Amino acid sequence: MISFDNVTKVYPNQSRPALENVSISIPKGEFVFLVGPSGSGKSTFLRLVLKEERPSDGRIQVAGRDLARLTNWKVPYLRRRIGCVFQDFRLLPNKNVYGNVAFALEVIGKHRRFIRKVVPEVIDLVGLEGKHDRMPDELSGGEQQRVAVARAFVNRPMILLADEPTGNIDPATSIGVMKVLDRINRTGTTVVMATHDAAIVDSMRKRVIELEFGKVVRDQSRGVYGQAY
Amino acid sequence: MRSQFVLSEIWIGLRRNLTMTMALIVVVAISLSLLGTGLLFVKQVDRTRTYWQGKVELSVYLCIKSSPQPQCQHNGPATDTERAQLRQQLQSMPQVQAVYYVSQQQAWQEFRQYFSNEPALVQDTSEGDIPDSFEVKLRNPEADYNSVASAVTGAAGVETVVDEMTILDKFYRLLDGARNAVVIVALILIVAAVLLVGNTIRLSAFNRRRETAIMRLVGASNFYIQLPFLLEGTIAGLIGWVIAAGLLVAVKSLMLDSLGQYFSFNVGLSVGDLVDVIATSMAVALVLCGVTSFLTLRRYLRI
Repeated sequence: MISFDNVTKVYPNQSRPALENVSISIPKGEFVFLVGPSGSGKSTFLRLVLKEERPSDGRIQVAGRDLARLTNWKVPYLRRRIGCVFQDFRLLPNKNVYGNVAFALEVIGKHRRFIRKVVPEVIDLVGLEGKHDRMPDELSGGEQQRVAVARAFVNRPMILLADEPTGNIDPATSIGVMKVLDRINRTGTTVVMATHDAAIVDSMRKRVIELEFGKVVRDQSRGVYGQAY
Repeated sequence: MRSQFVLSEIWIGLRRNLTMTMALIVVVAISLSLLGTGLLFVKQVDRTRTYWQGKVELSVYLCIKSSPQPQCQHNGPATDTERAQLRQQLQSMPQVQAVYYVSQQQAWQEFRQYFSNEPALVQDTSEGDIPDSFEVKLRNPEADYNSVASAVTGAAGVETVVDEMTILDKFYRLLDGARNAVVIVALILIVAAVLLVGNTIRLSAFNRRRETAIMRLVGASNFYIQLPFLLEGTIAGLIGWVIAAGLLVAVKSLMLDSLGQYFSFNVGLSVGDLVDVIATSMAVALVLCGVTSFLTLRRYLRI
């Protein structure tokens, strides 16, 4: 589903590469934790998958497509197959739960009838039934993150990228969010989650890829966060 | 494409940016109406010029008893032979298209008509005081005036040769000057309008940076992301254009039409001319707002 082949990324005006000769292959339906200290290249990895950045060297394939050969105007169609969740939720403060989730479908031109049918299903899936009309500032951090997950998943993407989704919420709530991500993974969606949260990684027992200074230092199936942290 | 969604986005954008949008509408309206006024002036000048060029370009006045010119004093009033010779001479010149003779009687009648509101002047003048003349129409007035005029100046029986164009030139210069001033101000305002469109769109893009960031993330096409902004600028431009159209109608009916009253000829602009100018200014508005929005978006809305 995602394959990196000797990928190096050097940002302009920086001597040290953010990623260096990274080769990773993530098959369809896998749940992968991306761990490592800040600045180790986790976010760069996610940005490369979204084609928000181009690699300085190497080849990236996402959903069977070579990103180097993907023209700019086709990038939006790639992103429709990838859902994204962030540490800071990125909800629209002036739209309610339903509006925030529906927005993702409205802007890709889906029909209203389709939106009315699909959005409530996804809101139920993330465990927010009955909270359609709440505004983001009326929700807890964990609930807001669930809305973000619902928005990322509502278009049934093949891949879900999560950049420290539990970074802003307390451990108890984090477990709820992780359960939602796990449920999404079980529907066959590939999930890649960058995280610092050792407890979560240890409890899930999924594949763990550890980055350090832009290099893959560990790639373990059913791994743990590691002792160094 | 869901038009309802796009329309609501546009509405939100215009409302959030209300003061900026209003400034934009006003500047577009004023610059377009000035530009349109300039265009109306151009048309008016053209119309007047063609009218006069269709008329006489050269008047050859003949000597009469009361002519003060020395050659007339010396030779006395023009004789019928001299008239015939002069007509012959003018008609034989290749530059001349047509020659009309205006008798003293006709000239006197025209004189009375022109000065009908000054009875004292008419009272003091009698039929023999107005000279008869040959009104000459040239094929190519600008090029041939001098050669024809010098050929007949000083001929027997000729009092003066008058270039009708020199009289009109003053009027033209006035109109041309007014037109140039209006067009220059309009161009400056258009530059201001371009900058304002750019600024409005930039503000709008900044106001909605969250929305556009999410749109990019969930894979909205560039077209879908940019369309509300483009339409926002264009709609503001079109509202400005509608106001400008109203102002242009006012300019035509209040200024130009009343200007026409001072002339005894009909050179007023038709409704067609007005529609023409208004259509041109709409095209300018669309290009101005559409293109500027598009270029601004390319800078401030990273896709």
